[in-house]
Amino acid sequence: MTQDTLIQTLRARFGPALAASQGGAARRLVLDVDRTALRAVALALRDAGGRYMVGVGSDERDRRGAFSMIHLFAFDKEGFTADLRASAPADNPEFDSIAPEIPSAGWTEREYMDLLGFMFKGNPKPKRLILADDWPAGIHPLRKDVPYNLVPPSAEDVAYELDEAPPGTTTVPIGPFHPTLHEPAHFAVYVDGETIKGCDYRGFMTHRGIEKLCQTQVSYNEVPFVAERICGICGSVHATAYAQSVEEAAGIKIARRAEFIRTIMLEIERLHSHLLWLGVAGHLIGYDTIFMQSWRVREPIMWLSERLTGNRKTYGMVVIGGVRRDITPALKDDILNVLRKVEDEVGGLKDAVLKDTSIHRRTKGVGLIPREEAVAWSLIGPVARARGVDIDVRRDHPYAAYDEVAFDVPVADSGDVWGTLVVRLLEVFESIKIVRQALDKMPPDGPLLTEVADVLPAFRHGLSMVEAPRGESVHYVVTGAENRPERWRVRAPTYTNLQGVPRMLLDNQLADFPIIVGSIDPCFSCTDRVLVVDGRARSHRVLARSEIEALGRGRRRP
Amino acid sequence: MWLTSKIKQVLLVLKPGKVTLNYPAESRPVPEGFRGQPAWDHTKCIGCGGCANHCPARTILTRDICPEIRILFYDGARCTYCGRCADVCPEKAIVMSPDFELATGDRNDITQSLELFMLTCQRCGRCYDLEIKNAIDKLDLRGYRYDSLEARTVIRRSTDRFAPDVLGATEAFRRPDRIGG
Amino acid sequence: MRALIYVSPLINAAVFLLLAPLFEGVLRKLAAKIQSRQGPPLIQPYRDLLKLLGKQNLNSAGTWPFKLAPLGAFAAVLVVVVLIPFGGRLGVFAGRLDVIVVVYLLTLGGVAVLMGALASRNTFALIGASREMVTMIMVEPVLAVTLILGAVKLRSLGLAAAMPGAAGAKFTLSTGLMLAVYLLALQAFVARQPFDIAEAEVELLEGPFIEYSGPNYALFKYAMMLKQMFYAWLFVSVFLPWIRTGIYPADIVLQLAAMLVVFLLIGLVGSTNPRLRIDQAVRYYAVLIVLSLAAVALAVKGW
Repeated sequence: MTQDTLIQTLRARFGPALAASQGGAARRLVLDVDRTALRAVALALRDAGGRYMVGVGSDERDRRGAFSMIHLFAFDKEGFTADLRASAPADNPEFDSIAPEIPSAGWTEREYMDLLGFMFKGNPKPKRLILADDWPAGIHPLRKDVPYNLVPPSAEDVAYELDEAPPGTTTVPIGPFHPTLHEPAHFAVYVDGETIKGCDYRGFMTHRGIEKLCQTQVSYNEVPFVAERICGICGSVHATAYAQSVEEAAGIKIARRAEFIRTIMLEIERLHSHLLWLGVAGHLIGYDTIFMQSWRVREPIMWLSERLTGNRKTYGMVVIGGVRRDITPALKDDILNVLRKVEDEVGGLKDAVLKDTSIHRRTKGVGLIPREEAVAWSLIGPVARARGVDIDVRRDHPYAAYDEVAFDVPVADSGDVWGTLVVRLLEVFESIKIVRQALDKMPPDGPLLTEVADVLPAFRHGLSMVEAPRGESVHYVVTGAENRPERWRVRAPTYTNLQGVPRMLLDNQLADFPIIVGSIDPCFSCTDRVLVVDGRARSHRVLARSEIEALGRGRRRP
Repeated sequence: MWLTSKIKQVLLVLKPGKVTLNYPAESRPVPEGFRGQPAWDHTKCIGCGGCANHCPARTILTRDICPEIRILFYDGARCTYCGRCADVCPEKAIVMSPDFELATGDRNDITQSLELFMLTCQRCGRCYDLEIKNAIDKLDLRGYRYDSLEARTVIRRSTDRFAPDVLGATEAFRRPDRIGG
Repeated sequence: MRALIYVSPLINAAVFLLLAPLFEGVLRKLAAKIQSRQGPPLIQPYRDLLKLLGKQNLNSAGTWPFKLAPLGAFAAVLVVVVLIPFGGRLGVFAGRLDVIVVVYLLTLGGVAVLMGALASRNTFALIGASREMVTMIMVEPVLAVTLILGAVKLRSLGLAAAMPGAAGAKFTLSTGLMLAVYLLALQAFVARQPFDIAEAEVELLEGPFIEYSGPNYALFKYAMMLKQMFYAWLFVSVFLPWIRTGIYPADIVLQLAAMLVVFLLIGLVGSTNPRLRIDQAVRYYAVLIVLSLAAVALAVKGW
């Protein structure tokens, strides 16, 4: 339904409890509601076809004596987003949980329970998500009174309490160190023989406190360089999304040529990321030759990036107002040459891989979930597109120069890991198409950087979604005084997709664990930006180290 | 079909041959515009501290040890080679060199330290009007600066007049370990 | 020379012990070439074994089965190597033993690995052990039939008859069928892709060997290298016995050359296939068992 229809329906239902207004851009609808109506309105938005993206909690006690919670929904078919805002008083930051019906909100709520001390009534799993297990209770890092570099004393022998294993299963601990995982994370997989019956995830071990840091220490134009390092593979996505959200908040319009250059860098990043994933997927099913060959094909893209931006990764191209370097005619020819070679080689790889029945055997039917569940868990990116969910932020909520380039969005309906393989391979060809069109349609000259004449106005909200290779990355910025953002929320696509992993693992074989987790192309560094600490709400039982070792050695829990 | 795929895979493999580079015996040349370690040219540097203000890693430190002498210290340990220092430098005194083989056992090998004799303006003491038009990139901390070279940390404080007590406090700088500490 | 029957077992042991790491090096180099990279030098497995010998023998489980399992595996394979008629020459033991002993010893080696894995008390080792057990159960019949085929034709289970005997009794339909089945099972015998399921690195770290380090681990690795060399030799000896000149040293060299070709095949297939899951592998092995039994039936019939 369109924005207007939606507003009418909601007003009819909720009347004075809700106030609708326009956000910084035409496609942003802002709904301010009473705390008591938050849950009902959220469910109404979901029923109207909204896809839950993420929630943004803020400490606004110094400004207006309240905490604020914003739930973000996307209406992909119609191309607009809805910010659902509510406030809670400083002495009682309690909200109703929407997680039982919208499972994707589960982690958001747990995150703010840890970081801001919010309480979500009815959250089905109020465990620590982000802060370390020995982080003292009562200190909530995102609150304004906590310094960014606080190092509380650590404690010994405090451990995360895993979910109850289903009866008749043993726990296989995967992580924090395991060859399957690129970064530390812990999956406690409950297996019955070789069949997976359940999974509990404990992550955020490499949480770096980036949001807090950039809200207190770093200035506007330094944040893109921090944002770029959120992820070692999709850095440009984060820098671009941040810059776009600040530009929207402050009303800065950047030059068209700069938008094209941003688009080109994003697509080049997608190319290298998908080829990297192809290699990793090959390695995870034990096929190291695919790993080596696809990374060999990927290498010229890294060299191209080095010539374009000065570095193989962490391009450092994006600043607020535009980009830092130009694509000269010589570089343009360079890009076209490299793309031609890559297209040939990937064509060869595609033929070799797609018809290989041994690869089919390891990926078809693995991680199978129906389309309705993919929608219920709000999955995004190739993971969702492999299950028949036709969403792509580049097409649905266009940004940068995507409104001027024509491309297809490959969608598979096999619903399994094979689908993700096919979708990603086809996306490589689409990316090459986009870069060629962008190079063609780019305005021949023009400024690269639009300078900001005055200090940016404070307390304006901006939202930007960018299609990372893994799915949609959401950045929400509230501009602040002192030349830095007041609030910056980053949600990488793996954050959402990881919540769906236990469902994907259910009833599959343990041998398929690596490829299923690998099929979401997990980027744990993108996911862990905040600390998680948790203990079970009712009984506080601490697992001693010896008990954890016993778990690791396969003895049943007493 | 399985067999034809396998044959195609083997053919795919035979074409490129061995791609291993015999590094360090052979090395690839660094492209133009490569962002290696920043290099300061002391003859051009005016000691404004713009690079220190805009370094995202806070790895460039500025310290006034007396009204006439400013130490500009680049501690390469946290440098991310982003090149913002080179961007904002008004005198183009910083160049991103092609050096990237910087591994060393002693962190002092990758530091650069400039001791600059600062001239005092007759009218106002210290001022830099750098005419940076971009409002979010302006020079942030003017005046006398007291970063801690011992702890290699930036202390965001500056004073109009040189203050020896603030300089002394910098030496005793420690990171907090509790709220309010 | 009569004395040769006393010396040839020692020659067997020497040749196998010296060359097993080299054949492993060949596999790694071939995998590297297929992956467009330089790869380690051919002598790298020797260096790996030497390096492991210098490391600490962490005895995390602290029980005797844990400590003895590597020795058991290594000893079992070494005894098999000593018994076989390498280079066409039977050693002094061959006259008194039969093929059942070979099957028994190889199974014993496998059981030693299982024992070590179970004694490790590690979840990953347990899963690896269960996969290894399933593989052993399903793949031993193929090995047994390969050895017994000749025995069926010549009506004798003796070592002397059964091995070179399979083709000495003429290359028949059953021999041809068994040749195909053996090649199809070869990757499982040597535990390479697509059948390196028990020690799948990305899933199980090292599977049964996860708790082993230092000299114990070196013994296990050495035992695996000897085992894969033995299986290559078995193929050459049973199905290609016409590679012989009658002169002992020349026969040794010829057999080694033929084994090298077999290794190249193992490497090629191993590098161009992903790993299968255990349930998929079991279905595959079941087919091989049926085919082996068909080969025995044909042999009994005289075909």
